[in-house]
Amino acid sequence: MSKVKTGFLVLLGLIWLAPVYLLIVNASKSVDGYDAKTVWKPAGFSLFANFGDAWSKAALGDTLVATTMYSVVAPVLAVLIGAAAGYAIVVLRLKRGFLWFVFIFGGTIFPLQMILMPLFSGYANSGLYDTRTGMIIVYTAISVPFSAFVMRNFFTGIARSVFEAAVVDGGGLFRIFRSIYLPMAGSALAAIFILQATFVWNDLLLGLTLSQSESVRPIMPALTGLQSTYGGAALPTVLAGGLLVSLPTVILFLAAQRFFSRGLALGQF
Amino acid sequence: MAPLFGLPAAGVVALLLYLPFLWTTYVSFTDYDGLASPVWSGLANYKAMFSDPDLIGALVNTLLWVAGMITLPVVLGLLVAVLTYGHKWGTWLRLPFLLPYAISGVAVGVIWGFVLQPDGALGQALGFFGLPGAHTGWLQSGPGNTLMMIVATTWQAAGVNALLFVVGLQSIPTEPLEAARLDGADGFKLFRYHLWPQLRAITTVVIGLSIVGSLKTFDVVWVMTQGGPGTSSETLALSMYKETFVLNDYGQGAAIALFLSLVTFAASVLYLRYQLGDAREQG
Amino acid sequence: MQRNNRKALAALVIAGALALSACGGGGAAAPKKGEDKPVDSLKFYNDKGGWKDAFTQVGAASKKDVGVGMEPVGYSDSNTYTAFIRSSFRTKEKADLFTWHTGKELQDLVDQKLVAETTDQWTKAIADGNIPEQLKQYFTFGDKQYCVPLNAGYWVMYYNKAIFKKAGITQTPKTWAELTQVADKVKAAGVKPFYQTNILFSFVWFETLLAGKDPDLYDALAAGKAKYTDPGVVEVMNEWKKMIDAGYFSDPGAKTEPQAQLKNGDVAMINFGTWFSGNLNTLKMKAGTDYDFFVIPNVNPDLPKTSMIFETGPVCSAAASDHASTVKKWTDWWVTPQAQTAWANSRGDLSFNPKAEVKDPGLAQLNKDVNGYRLINRWFEATPVPVANKALEVFGAFVTKPGDPMPGLQKIQAEADAYWAKQK
Repeated sequence: MSKVKTGFLVLLGLIWLAPVYLLIVNASKSVDGYDAKTVWKPAGFSLFANFGDAWSKAALGDTLVATTMYSVVAPVLAVLIGAAAGYAIVVLRLKRGFLWFVFIFGGTIFPLQMILMPLFSGYANSGLYDTRTGMIIVYTAISVPFSAFVMRNFFTGIARSVFEAAVVDGGGLFRIFRSIYLPMAGSALAAIFILQATFVWNDLLLGLTLSQSESVRPIMPALTGLQSTYGGAALPTVLAGGLLVSLPTVILFLAAQRFFSRGLALGQF
Repeated sequence: MAPLFGLPAAGVVALLLYLPFLWTTYVSFTDYDGLASPVWSGLANYKAMFSDPDLIGALVNTLLWVAGMITLPVVLGLLVAVLTYGHKWGTWLRLPFLLPYAISGVAVGVIWGFVLQPDGALGQALGFFGLPGAHTGWLQSGPGNTLMMIVATTWQAAGVNALLFVVGLQSIPTEPLEAARLDGADGFKLFRYHLWPQLRAITTVVIGLSIVGSLKTFDVVWVMTQGGPGTSSETLALSMYKETFVLNDYGQGAAIALFLSLVTFAASVLYLRYQLGDAREQG
Repeated sequence: MQRNNRKALAALVIAGALALSACGGGGAAAPKKGEDKPVDSLKFYNDKGGWKDAFTQVGAASKKDVGVGMEPVGYSDSNTYTAFIRSSFRTKEKADLFTWHTGKELQDLVDQKLVAETTDQWTKAIADGNIPEQLKQYFTFGDKQYCVPLNAGYWVMYYNKAIFKKAGITQTPKTWAELTQVADKVKAAGVKPFYQTNILFSFVWFETLLAGKDPDLYDALAAGKAKYTDPGVVEVMNEWKKMIDAGYFSDPGAKTEPQAQLKNGDVAMINFGTWFSGNLNTLKMKAGTDYDFFVIPNVNPDLPKTSMIFETGPVCSAAASDHASTVKKWTDWWVTPQAQTAWANSRGDLSFNPKAEVKDPGLAQLNKDVNGYRLINRWFEATPVPVANKALEVFGAFVTKPGDPMPGLQKIQAEADAYWAKQK
C-alpha cells in the first residue's frame, strides 16, 4: 500500500511541477524563437544567454547585496521577536495574553497597499526613506505577526512541566527562553525563517515605495522593469529573469529540508 | 518581566503597521486626493460604498476566495504533509509543492497567464489528450475566472500549508504514537485518533492565515485579469486599490480598506477565539 | 505586572500621537521654495522602467553637451509611481524631473501650484521650431505653460510584411474601404487581421473608429460636451461590434504580447503608437524588411484632414525644487534637435521635435509630416480618470463578448455626468 502512497505523491508532484517545466522551457527559448502556440515543446537552450540578458537589462547585480541583507536580517529579527512574544504569552502567562496576541497578529490584517503612502510620508519625514535600516525595520515589522502566531501556537504544545522544572533548576526567564525553548522550536523557527525570507525576497511594493537608490532597492522592483508595454524585454528574457531571481529562494528551500526530515514512519496506509 | 518579552513585537507592529493604518482610518472620513489637504466628509465615503452595485459583486468574489482558500490548499497541504511524514523520501516528495512558493511573483503571474489564456498551455494540453474545453477562455468570464485564479493560488499555497503541517507533525511526541501503532492502530485510524487532535494548534495557524490571506488577495488577480473583464473578477482588495491608486480617491479607498480590515479582523478573531478558547496549554 | 503593561501602553500611545502628527500634519501649506543650488546631475523620476537604458544614454549626452548629467529612477508600476510622486511634494524627496500625464492629472498639480511654470521656455522653443505649436494646448492651463514634452507617439497601423505578401497585398491602404479589403484578404489567408486586447488598451479601436468618423464629436466627448449615449457614439459601437462579429480581431484574452503575435503571424496588423517599433526591434524584427507601418485612413472619407491619434507625456519639475536653475538648463537642452535626436534614436522612436534626425526612415517621414494631420489627443489622456476607468471596464467586457452597447454606454455616461457636475 505504501507503493500506492508513493505513486500518488509522485503523480501529484509531477502535475505540480508542470508550470515550473513551462517556466524553464520557455525561459530557455531564444528571444525570436518563442511561439505562443507551442509552449509545451522545448526549443533550443538559450537559458544562460537569457539569464545574462535579464541580468544586465535589469541591473540585477546592484540590488543583490541589499536584498540578501533584507532577506536574512529581517526574518531573523522577526523570528526572535515573534518567539519572544509567543514565549511571553504562553509560557510566562502574560496577563491578558489573548489581547496581546490579537494585537500583534492584527498587524497582518491591514492591506499592504493602504499603509504604503502614510508609511512613505513617515519615512520621508523621519529620514528613514531610501535607507537600508529603514527597509530592514519595515520588513521585520511585516514578518512579526506571522512569526508570533506560529510560535505562540507552537509553544502551546510544549508541556508546562518543562517550564516548571527549569524554574526549579534556577535560571532567569531569559536563559530559559534562550537555552530551552528556542532550541526546542528548531523546525518552527526554520519554517518561519524560510517563508519570511522568501516573502521579503519577493517583495515588490515596499521596495518600490520606500526606496529608490540602486544600492537600497531590492531585487523585484528592478526585475519588473523588464516587463512593460512601453519597451520591456521579450517574454523568454522576462521569464529567465523571474527564474534567475527565484534561484536563491529555491536553494534556500532545498538547504533547509533537513529541518523537516525528522518523522515517524506512519506504517501501512 | 513578561511584558518585556512581548514589547518588541507589539512595539514594532504598532509603530509600522497600526500607525499608518490610523492615518488611513482618518482619511476614510475625508475627501482626499493625495495632493490637497484632506477635507472632512464624515460618512460620505461609506454611504457611497454601500450603495455601489459593483461592490456587492466584489464582496461575492471575495467570499469565494475565502471559501476556496480555507478548503483547497488546506486539505491538499494536510494530505501532502501526512503522506510524506516519515516517508523514506519524504523531503524530496514534498519538494515539488514547496517550489512554487519560492518562485517570484513575476514569473508566476506570467506562467499562469499563458497557462490559462484561450489556447494556452492548459488548452493545448487538453487538446492533446482529446479532452473537451481546449479553446475555453478560462479567465474570460466570472465566476470561472475567480475559480481558476484560486487554483493558481492553491498551486503556491498548498506547499506552504504542507510545510506548516509538517512542523506541527514534528512536534507530536513519538512514543505515544509508537505505542498506538504497536497496539494495532494503522493508517487512517492512526491519523484520526492520534495525529489530528494534536494538529489542532497548527491547523489553527493554517486556517487563520488562509482567512486573512484570502481576504487580502490582490497580486494574483491584478496581474491576471485586473478585476476584469468588466468587474467580474474584482475583489474588495482590488476595489480599494483602484479607488486609491487609479482614481486618486484616497478617501473612498480608505473606507473600503477599513471595511475590509474590520471584516478580516472579525473573522479571524472569531475563529481564533473559538479555536483557542478550549485548547489552552496541554499538560 | 499590570502596572507595567499600562505604562507600556501609555508610552506607546504618546509615541504614536507624536509620530502621527509628524507624518500626517505636513499637508496643509504649499511647500516653500527652497534655495536654488546648482548641481551637476539631476534625478529623473519616471514610470517607464523599461526605458532605463535610453534614459542613461540621454544622461550621458546631456553631461557631454551642457555639463549636467541625468540619472533615471524608474518605477515599473505606474499606479505606485503616481502615488509616490503625489506624496513626494510634501516631503524633501520632491522631484527635480519627473514624467507625468497630460490632462486632469497635470491640472491637479497645477491647481495646487506644485509644478514649475515653463511659459518662457515654450515661447522660445516654438519660435525656434523645436516644438510644434499644436502640442502647446496640452501643456497649457490658464494662460501659462507647465512642463515640457517627454515624447510624442503617433498611432499608426503596424503590419507584418510577410503576411501581406502571402495574402497578395501589394499596396498599403489609403482609404477605409481599401483597409477593409486588405483585412478580407488577410482573413482569406487564414490570419486574424487586427490585434485587440481586453486589458488596458481596450479603448484603441473605439478611439480609432470615432476619431476617424467624427473627430469633432471625439473632442466634444472628451470635454464633456457630448454624451456617450449620443447617436454618433452608439453608431461607432455598433460598427465595432460588426467588425468583431465578422472575425476581424484576434482573441482579446490572449496574454501573448502584441509584438510576439505580430512576429509569429498570429495577427497581421496592430494599431499602436510609434514606440511599438522599439518593442518589435527587441524581437529582432527589422523595420522595412519584416514590418512596416502605414497611417490609418479615416473611416469617413469626406473629412478634410486625416485624424492622427497621438500621445504625449510631460517632463515636469516640482515648483519648490532646490535646483531650479539646473533644471532649466537641462530642459532648455532637452528640447534642442541634438538632444532629441539622441533621445529618439535611443529608443528607436520619433521625437516631438520635427528637426530631430530620426534613424528609421519611415518614422522620420512621419515626424516631418506631422503638421498635415489633425492631431487627436489619445483617448486615455483626453478622458477624465473616473470616466476612463469605467469605460475601460465596459470596453474590456465589450470586446470579449460584444452585445448591445447601450447598457455599457449608459454606465459610462453616468460616471461622466457625475464627474462633469462636480467640475462646475
